Amino acid sequence: MSSEEQFARHLCRVLDQGTRTIDTSIAERLRAARERALAHQPIAVGSISIVGAGGTVAHLGGGDEKHPLRTFIAILALLLGVCVAYYWNGFDQATENEEIDSALLADELPPNAYLDRGFQAWLEKHSRAGE
Amino acid sequence: MASRTELSDFLASVERRAFKQAVYAVRDDDAALDIVQDSMMRLAEKYGARPVAELPLLFQRILQNAIRDYYRRSRTRMGHSISLSALESSEDEYADPLETLQIDEEHNPFATPPAALLQAETLNLLEEALHNLPPRQREAFLLRYWEGLDIAETAAAMDCSEGSVKTHCSRAAHALAAALAAKGIRP
Repeated sequence: MSSEEQFARHLCRVLDQGTRTIDTSIAERLRAARERALAHQPIAVGSISIVGAGGTVAHLGGGDEKHPLRTFIAILALLLGVCVAYYWNGFDQATENEEIDSALLADELPPNAYLDRGFQAWLEKHSRAGE
Repeated sequence: MASRTELSDFLASVERRAFKQAVYAVRDDDAALDIVQDSMMRLAEKYGARPVAELPLLFQRILQNAIRDYYRRSRTRMGHSISLSALESSEDEYADPLETLQIDEEHNPFATPPAALLQAETLNLLEEALHNLPPRQREAFLLRYWEGLDIAETAAAMDCSEGSVKTHCSRAAHALAAALAAKGIRP
């Protein structure tokens, strides 16, 4: 270290002492200024959490660089959720179709009657007459 | 990105030095507080999402710009401009007190308890000498040695060449040594 640098470092230690003995009102105003500034820090948007998994597990915009495993788990959970929802929805649809088929087959009227235009016209005519 | 805690810790670690830097430059506590507050606000708003490692340099750039803006506004209000070059001293004027400077840590006068008063006096004289430095020399000296930026970072914060930083730092150190020596203080 050069003598110039040594001298400079020595002076900076004296300056450090000046920051430690700063007036309390100034220190308080600095703290308040810091709090105001922090309130203006942009908040990460689009973060998702799994309840009970220990807070935020992934930031959708750019990911969590410090915890790639958390990001992976979050994406995996999301995909699993989508798959379950898709399967459940398909199951409901199949049950509904099954009920319609059973009703059609159990009816006295043969299913082909619903495809006959003449029968449909007759049905409409009679239902109006019934009203 | 920097978390709220990380940003808070960073600001807490630099706010006092930032305030002092601004005071040395503008010599007005209220104006210095405004400068520091604006700088903190700008850092949080515009760069709050940047990695923590980038914050020191970004903050110093913002702070130095805020100080320069204050100078400009003051000059406009006063209706005249101060030639900064008029405040610069030529190298020939220095007797180079650093050449004879000997720093002996074991015999540091501030290390002994009765020296507290001397230290306070030295601090006052040093702060006065810093205030009297040309702005660019003071800026370079404080960024390089007090904030601990390297030469490249200091040059980036000051928007000048690395050669200029070295020159400013050297001149500042010599000027401070001369100012303190004139008051009978030899570190």
